[in-house]
Amino acid sequence: MNTLIKSLRRGVSTLASRRIYIFMMFVVPLGCTFFFLSLMNEGLPLKIPVAMVDTDHSSLSRKIGRSLDAGELIDITMELESYHDAVAKVRSGEIFGFFYIPDDFQEEALSGRTPTLSFYSNMTVFVPGTLSYKGFKTIAVTTSGGIVKTTLSSVGVSDAESMIMPLGFDYHPIGNPWTNYSIYLSQSFLAAVMALLVMMTTVFSVCQEIKQATSPEWLRTAGGSMAVALAGKLLPQTVIFSAVGVAIQSVMFSYLHFPLNGSTAAMVFSMVLLVLSSQAFALVVIEWLPNLRIALSVVSLVGILSFSVAGFSFPVDKMYGGVAVFSYLLPVRYYFLIYIDQALNGIPLYYSRLYFVAMLVMVLLPLAGMRRLRRHCLTPVYVP
Amino acid sequence: MTAPAQPKAELVRAIDATQNLHVIGYASDMAEARRAWHEKKCYAVLEIPADYARRIGRGESVSVPFYQDMSLLLRYRQALFALTDVQMHEASSITASRLAARGGIISTVVSGLPVDTYAGIMGDPTQGFASFVMPGVLVLILQQSLILGICMLAGTARDRRRRGMPGYDMLYDGAGPVATVLGKSLSYLMIYIPISYYALSVIPHMFSLPHVGEFVDYMPFVFVMLLATCFLGQTLQVFARERESSMLVIVFTSVVFLFLSGLTWPRYAFNRFWLMVSDLIPATWGVEGFIRINSNGAAISDVARYYYALWALAGLYFVTAVVINIALSSRRRMKA
Repeated sequence: MNTLIKSLRRGVSTLASRRIYIFMMFVVPLGCTFFFLSLMNEGLPLKIPVAMVDTDHSSLSRKIGRSLDAGELIDITMELESYHDAVAKVRSGEIFGFFYIPDDFQEEALSGRTPTLSFYSNMTVFVPGTLSYKGFKTIAVTTSGGIVKTTLSSVGVSDAESMIMPLGFDYHPIGNPWTNYSIYLSQSFLAAVMALLVMMTTVFSVCQEIKQATSPEWLRTAGGSMAVALAGKLLPQTVIFSAVGVAIQSVMFSYLHFPLNGSTAAMVFSMVLLVLSSQAFALVVIEWLPNLRIALSVVSLVGILSFSVAGFSFPVDKMYGGVAVFSYLLPVRYYFLIYIDQALNGIPLYYSRLYFVAMLVMVLLPLAGMRRLRRHCLTPVYVP
Repeated sequence: MTAPAQPKAELVRAIDATQNLHVIGYASDMAEARRAWHEKKCYAVLEIPADYARRIGRGESVSVPFYQDMSLLLRYRQALFALTDVQMHEASSITASRLAARGGIISTVVSGLPVDTYAGIMGDPTQGFASFVMPGVLVLILQQSLILGICMLAGTARDRRRRGMPGYDMLYDGAGPVATVLGKSLSYLMIYIPISYYALSVIPHMFSLPHVGEFVDYMPFVFVMLLATCFLGQTLQVFARERESSMLVIVFTSVVFLFLSGLTWPRYAFNRFWLMVSDLIPATWGVEGFIRINSNGAAISDVARYYYALWALAGLYFVTAVVINIALSSRRRMKA
């Protein structure tokens, strides 16, 4: 027991010895939280700059222009005279799409010659592309419906409204009815930032002992036990990272009222598990490659790749087989799945049980390579 | 399960026939549907009202509730696009049959919809997630790996000096600060120009990402970004105390820079502070310009404002890099 207390004291004093630890454990996670939440505090990037190409100049085409501009999704920032001008503006990045009304549109529409309204969205940039598409489509459909309705009413059909709109879908986005992007992106990205920082700090603090050749002394403090030495070094970090992680959660759930439809305890517990399993992941890497530079490169790569591979934005079942398997090795993948079940959807805990088990199993994995790491710590080799 | 009435089966068939949605089956009530959603067998539930067929038949308008799992916005978007198409298609066929049923003058006045709509998708015809995000990410990888490399070199040099084995070090050779910055930049560029060609031309080709840009447009453009990045890296090297700690400092910035480039969250929605920060990062302009050359087929003259912004950053960071070098070499001389 005495050796554990000594090791813990040593672990804490290492953390206080260099500014980089303060930076990694407080400045970066809290700074990133501020960054993400303040950058996206609008929830949706409304008022997308688009152009109107109206070559008809009729009362009907002007009416379409006004209704486009009145919607909250789209902001007509320029009026252009030709398709080519508009494409050039899209290419230069000044607009994200445009609406095109052809010559003689009004005349042809009212005489039943079926003119074509076209709209173009630049999908090179995902969010504005999608949202402008949605805004354009709505106006195109209502314009078309409005003309039919006028025609039908003029020939004496009284129920023109239900005649032309016989079917509609009533959308219920579960858990995020505002389709708020911040809720969606901040939750997963901040968790992945936490996992990245935990892994890097773990590798840095452990391998630094080997690089500086202080690892034999580190083991001596722990009475020669690798497990005690690691506990002394990593538990203080576990406590700090968990506290910072829960603080980030509370900013999102309590202060910004992001959806938390299930159990608070489950979310807090899963954050602690995320910290522990990320430390375990890093330890496995260290046991396998006990070299500061190489281990750090590996966890950086894994940590950065997890932003895309963990399936926050792209469904894992649509990834290539090999990549999809990889996503299940990442601790943050399970945190994300628990978050979806417990916070966003609020479904019974029973359905998330396997994710908790997976994270707990990960925590035990480093036990296997401990002896190997001990050998490296006793004979530290640093190749510059 | 009872045999579905005609219009209902028609609607379900139309939804199942879309590319984006697949109907896994009928649930007898909402509880059963919810259980399937909990078990992740389905990601959306369509609740067809009991009197759907009757109301369609009577000429009323029917609203059909659609419950969508929001864990991934990509799924939501796909469902939204698919259902909009189904709605338009079904609505016009139902309207046509209703009008035909009334006969007489009406069916001759309105034959189908009076206006066609055409939706043009620019830039990314496949609308895949990878094809939208990857071209931008490739540019960011170039910047981040270059800065990381420069800072690690600087950190290694300091490590060696501390251990008393300096190796080859320009500061000892008496080269002036301007010559040092330019000379180092030239050697970094020698490595990074071929790498850029590989990342921005060979990779999109290999993975069939959108790639309609011209070599003569994107290579000069990216060259300026690399130049600005070389100078930025030589400015940031002042923070690299040792070889590995620069990795800690730089890796997490990749995520921040990804957002600041406007790829995920558009720049017009930034507040003034973040807009200013993002203006100072070469990759912001690199991404904005490159994706438009690469995916929209813009010429370098179309993205002139990004190109000039990159030159401005190159000028700014050249000055800072020279100043840092003067400071570092005078500190060394004082120690010596």
